Amino acid sequence: MALIETKNLSKNYHLGASVVHALASVNLTVARGEFVAICGPSGSGKTTLLNLMGVIDAADEGEMLFKGKDVSGLSDNHKTELRNNSIGFVFQKFNLIPVLTALENVMLPLQIQSISPGIAKTIAMDRLKQVGISDFAGHRPDKMSGGQQQRVAVARALVINPSLVIADEPTANLDSVTAKSIIDLMHDINRTQGTTFVFSTHDQRLLDRVQRKVILKDGRINGGENNG
Amino acid sequence: MANWLKIAFGNLLKNRRRSLVTIMGIGIGFVSVSLFYGYIHNTYDGLRNAAIKGEGIGHLTIYKKGWFLKGKFEPDKYMFTDAELGKVKAIAKTDENVVLVTPQLSISGLVSNGKMSTIFMASGVVPADEQIIKGDWGKFRPVQGEKLSEKKEYGVEVAQDLAAILGMKPGSNGVVMATTPDGQMNALDIEVAGVFDTGTQASNDKYMRVPFSFAQSLYETEKADRIVVLLTDWQNTEAVRGDLLDKLNKAGLECEIKTWNELSQFYSKVRGMFDMIFMFIFSIVFVVVSMSVVNTMGMAVVERTREIGTLRAIGVKRSGISVLFAMEGALLGFIGSVGGAVAHTLLCIAVKSGDLSYVPPGNSSSVPFIVDLLPGSMLILAFFLISLSLFAAIFPARRAARLNVVEALGHV
Repeated sequence: MALIETKNLSKNYHLGASVVHALASVNLTVARGEFVAICGPSGSGKTTLLNLMGVIDAADEGEMLFKGKDVSGLSDNHKTELRNNSIGFVFQKFNLIPVLTALENVMLPLQIQSISPGIAKTIAMDRLKQVGISDFAGHRPDKMSGGQQQRVAVARALVINPSLVIADEPTANLDSVTAKSIIDLMHDINRTQGTTFVFSTHDQRLLDRVQRKVILKDGRINGGENNG
Repeated sequence: MANWLKIAFGNLLKNRRRSLVTIMGIGIGFVSVSLFYGYIHNTYDGLRNAAIKGEGIGHLTIYKKGWFLKGKFEPDKYMFTDAELGKVKAIAKTDENVVLVTPQLSISGLVSNGKMSTIFMASGVVPADEQIIKGDWGKFRPVQGEKLSEKKEYGVEVAQDLAAILGMKPGSNGVVMATTPDGQMNALDIEVAGVFDTGTQASNDKYMRVPFSFAQSLYETEKADRIVVLLTDWQNTEAVRGDLLDKLNKAGLECEIKTWNELSQFYSKVRGMFDMIFMFIFSIVFVVVSMSVVNTMGMAVVERTREIGTLRAIGVKRSGISVLFAMEGALLGFIGSVGGAVAHTLLCIAVKSGDLSYVPPGNSSSVPFIVDLLPGSMLILAFFLISLSLFAAIFPARRAARLNVVEALGHV
């Protein structure tokens, strides 16, 4: 069974009187353990597709199946629980909680699951070690570089052992060296733990590392490539 | 929970200037309400004591039913005989809250020093009972000279302005004249035993206290127009009134009982005025605190839109976002209240050590300016302000919770 399956997924945005077709009848399947990039020019619908796959947005038409179940009809609370238990997010601007330390940021998804602070701390610390940032556990985001923040964001996304990690332009705000290290990190995790990654990117270095590229144009899938 | 508190507290610190202004607003509101409440609490205590002990009206005053309507025209009919007095005393003393039951008789007429005369009003009181009623109050407004005594039947206490008008001082002699209930004129010699301050300008130039037996002699009666009851605690006043009235009615004594606050119009009027001012101040504080918390939290929601989106994306439910912002509001209320309580305590100490006094309107002499330190009331006020801040934060919190996750994440 595919981890994600979209069937004729459509999403429109209303800007005043005009309607923008962000996605039009997108059919896409992502298997467990895949490392998939969604690429395409600006405005092609990459972020919209990621939002729908990450269950933070709802389609106007079509079905969005997660582990074989249609999530379109779930209540807001059920969608939120699904995200908390199964989906990790890595954002372009890192989106760490500024008043919490790196460790506390990583602990947060676990504490939302009501896991005790002691256990959450141990798991979060392991994740910080895994992404090579444990020395900065007590630092707040404003005391860390962009690359360090993104590593913390990756640790936060992974801390719940998610089935899927959604990453929206994860290297766009990083310098080339740091971007490479983040790409390597995500790739390693995908390879060693089998975590499914779906991300949008323009970064050719990242595109070179993916198993599969899905190319979007004007809200439609305009081709794809398998890197083998 | 600890992490939520940390987020809430951290965000308050992050915007410390704005938080400080809001906290100061809440703190100043706390101090305004608590200081004024502490002041009027002390004033009410003072006025209550002035009425119960100073005016000597005790906690309850028993009259024969009809006294207030017809007593002036047929006083004798509506006064207590000795037998009735004994019966009332026996019944009242069965209540464990009752400390003292004593008869009194009001008299009025003319008082003269031999050269000039002026009107007077006096309470005929049992001297020993009067001292029990006065209690500690006697130290606050001491009598110059001697107090009333059974031994000196014609010895009276004269209010200070009346004594000044008549040129009297302790040891001076004079005459009082009055019309008896039968309509006859009667006169008796007096000796000024003591001079005292009633506390109010209105009564200081006409008031006297005389022994009960003296008042009866002047009115040529063996009756009392009222029976004063002193209780262990003023807070039992209403309960004892109800019980006592039942018992008296069952014993065939048709009476009516007035409480000290019904008889002391000054207390009721001052309380009415202060209560209104208190509500006015309280309403202003209510509006200021609500608006400043709504404003602060509203700005926080706008500034932290992306953070809200992130929290929602990683699994915080709408209710969780509401709780987070409500917690921040409550935290503002808590810190503001703690600051207010500290400021209140310091100001109370300063006022107390300043030994300040003032002359209230209508008073004949100064009274100490005291602000009571009331931990119980401060706790209630803190609880109220924290709750108010929490509820004020709920509106922006609900707005935050309803934000669309995608739009919130895209917020710049």
